[in-house]
Amino acid sequence: MDWLLDPFSGAIGRRALVEVILLGLACGPLGVWIVLYRRSYAAESISHGMLPGLVLAALAGVPLLLGAAGGVLLCAATITLVARDERLGGDVGVAVAVTALFGLGAMLALAPAVPPRLEELLFGDLLGVSSGDLMAAGALAAAVAVALAVAFRPLSLVAFDAASARSLGAPPGRWQLALLALLAVTTVVVVQGLGSLLVVALILAPGAAALNVTGRLPAALGLATWLAALAGAAGLVISHHLAVAAGASVALCAVAEWVLSLLAWRMHAPSPPSTALPADMFAQAR
Amino acid sequence: MQRALVEVLLLSVTAGVLGSWIVLRRLAFYTHAIGTAAFPGLVLAVPWGIPAQAAALGTALGFAGALDRLTRSGRAATDSATGLLLVGFFAVGVVLASDVFEAGAGVDRLLFGSLLGVSELDLWLTAAAAVGALALNAALWRPLLTAGFDPSAARALGVPATTADWLLLVAIACAAVVALEAVGALLVIGVLVMPAATVRLVARSVPELQIATAALAALQGVAGLWLAATLNVGPGPTISVLGGAVFAAAALFLAGRRRLAR
Amino acid sequence: MSRGGSRLVEVSDLGGGYAPGAEALSDTSFAVEAGMILAVLGPNGGGKTTLFRALLGELPIRRGHVEVRGRPAYVPQTERARLDFPVSAVEVVLMGAYGRTAWYRRVARADRGAANAALERVGLADRAGVRFGQLSGGQRQRVLIARALMQDAAVLLLDEPLSGVDTASAERIETLLSDLRGQGRAVLVATHDVDQARRWDRVLCLSGRQVAFGPPAETLTTSVLRATYGAELVELDDGRYGVRVDHHSHGT
Repeated sequence: MDWLLDPFSGAIGRRALVEVILLGLACGPLGVWIVLYRRSYAAESISHGMLPGLVLAALAGVPLLLGAAGGVLLCAATITLVARDERLGGDVGVAVAVTALFGLGAMLALAPAVPPRLEELLFGDLLGVSSGDLMAAGALAAAVAVALAVAFRPLSLVAFDAASARSLGAPPGRWQLALLALLAVTTVVVVQGLGSLLVVALILAPGAAALNVTGRLPAALGLATWLAALAGAAGLVISHHLAVAAGASVALCAVAEWVLSLLAWRMHAPSPPSTALPADMFAQAR
Repeated sequence: MQRALVEVLLLSVTAGVLGSWIVLRRLAFYTHAIGTAAFPGLVLAVPWGIPAQAAALGTALGFAGALDRLTRSGRAATDSATGLLLVGFFAVGVVLASDVFEAGAGVDRLLFGSLLGVSELDLWLTAAAAVGALALNAALWRPLLTAGFDPSAARALGVPATTADWLLLVAIACAAVVALEAVGALLVIGVLVMPAATVRLVARSVPELQIATAALAALQGVAGLWLAATLNVGPGPTISVLGGAVFAAAALFLAGRRRLAR
Repeated sequence: MSRGGSRLVEVSDLGGGYAPGAEALSDTSFAVEAGMILAVLGPNGGGKTTLFRALLGELPIRRGHVEVRGRPAYVPQTERARLDFPVSAVEVVLMGAYGRTAWYRRVARADRGAANAALERVGLADRAGVRFGQLSGGQRQRVLIARALMQDAAVLLLDEPLSGVDTASAERIETLLSDLRGQGRAVLVATHDVDQARRWDRVLCLSGRQVAFGPPAETLTTSVLRATYGAELVELDDGRYGVRVDHHSHGT
């Protein structure tokens, strides 16, 4: 038992634990929706493309949360502009835009004589969370969780039958946008703990795992929240005992949950095998 | 610096030939994923003392194989499976890196490349990749063209579309692996995809696309090196930013011209 | 090849599908002889495309037997092809020769000439160098037919070649089909146009399973059409029938 509680005997460990549990409140249900709406690429893109905002905040000594917000806004605006033009080949344009933004962040971070600890921006600084960070994270995560709960009915209408959702009072465009906005807010909150490159693990994995285990949406939302918190706690324990990066450990635990859920999936009926050509299988769907 | 220039020029051949197919077959994210999935291999190559490219190719192909099994059997949706598998591989790399590297500088080199520090071995491997890309392009031209244009009829036309596709995916993995020595595991798109994406806006045939892309890639590579030296920043990220800027400029220019034409 | 002599397509008791346990097609038996046009009717999702895939050898067959002379030429619906792909019309037509060119050989000069000839037959010789995506719907369909002509196949499969096509192109295409029939080939055409089906040699009605097969007079009866199309069948004023498909109804 001591082995489990050891990491949380100090203030740092306890704050980190509270942080991951708060993050789990938002990431769990959000991930379920993101997977259902097939917006995983958006989650990837936003988290990578926000890097310049993080770097500028670190260089200017401004709270990371503000930099994250700015970075996410810039990234989302760029992606919206690019994705609209069919001729740019939709996804290729987004890939180019996100990589260019990420490169810009790296340029800014690697340039000056005193680099703003790029590793923390990329992989997170879970054990360095302050009380102020915790309060901001708590407020935002709670807001996201509440918003998702309130929006349950329109979100599920659009997810399962976008065609008739409008006539039932839930215009798809508006709710897809709302979901992306919540994704943006959650990314801003999680990035301090897990970093730009690992955020996506906590956002997607618990939700994806929950959907593999249960077909009922309310159950999946609840299970995902619990799985996210579990991944956080387990990650902190592993990180403490094996002396490895905390953010990455949490990310690995979350992904491990997903991998395990795939094995459980075996019990359901398999889908028909795809007959698409190999390159088309790996190609980006629209 | 001389070696960096040679590397850039060799990479532009691959960028022209394979980058065109990447863009035409919508494999930009696959290319990025291969580069990122190579990261744990790169980390392990250091203590194991094997060439980075070999380890990188190992983990990258492992990733591609796992993703194929997952999506082909219908067990997971392509977009979430790709993202999750990718971040999983990456997290493994990060955890390993905490053990392998004491300082952050080592990891930076893996993520953003060390174009100025390319070795002779790197150059030979890049040259081999270029030659391989040209050979593959010549041999598989017809199946790739047919499958790219009309996937539903490709097999009916009697071309070996499936085999050609597999070879293309492996070739892209090899290209990503040599590119990441130069520009880093996270920025391979800067070299392999951006020039092709830009030229594709105006290209009228595939050979035209390939030749013009190679030229643009070479130009961007050299300009990127020069800019990086002037600003005293890493060349890898500089090339990506430059590529993005050129793409944006081209897109805006074309959009403006279209609006005027109305 | 004599008319009505050899059978170029023979299908008996065919049953198959993609998903385990679910059958896209069952109990299908028919034959097509040389010099015949077979109209394949049925609602979307009723098995027309599945049948074509089976004839092309791309469908896992659970039961029954499929025999086709040579490799059939397939003309898919134009939307399947990528309009943004940088290829010219003649390059598309040339693809028809790829199947008979070894991978290490260049395409034969004779084939290049045949490609231009094929474009002339469909009336697009002057459009050879135009990008495929810039052609009109009817022109694109004709290019794909030219590609099928290149393959010089005994059996041709066309998936709704006349839907959404302008009148001039439609007439050309119908003439082409008659020419192909005259040459002793077997042509299978998936269509929603009952009127058109009446003009050809045989009709096959599919709705997950085979409803009817035979000459138009025997097959295109009210009861068969109702069994095939169900709710999509529309009775027009003069007692004739049309099929409501995607808000377009084709009169009979």
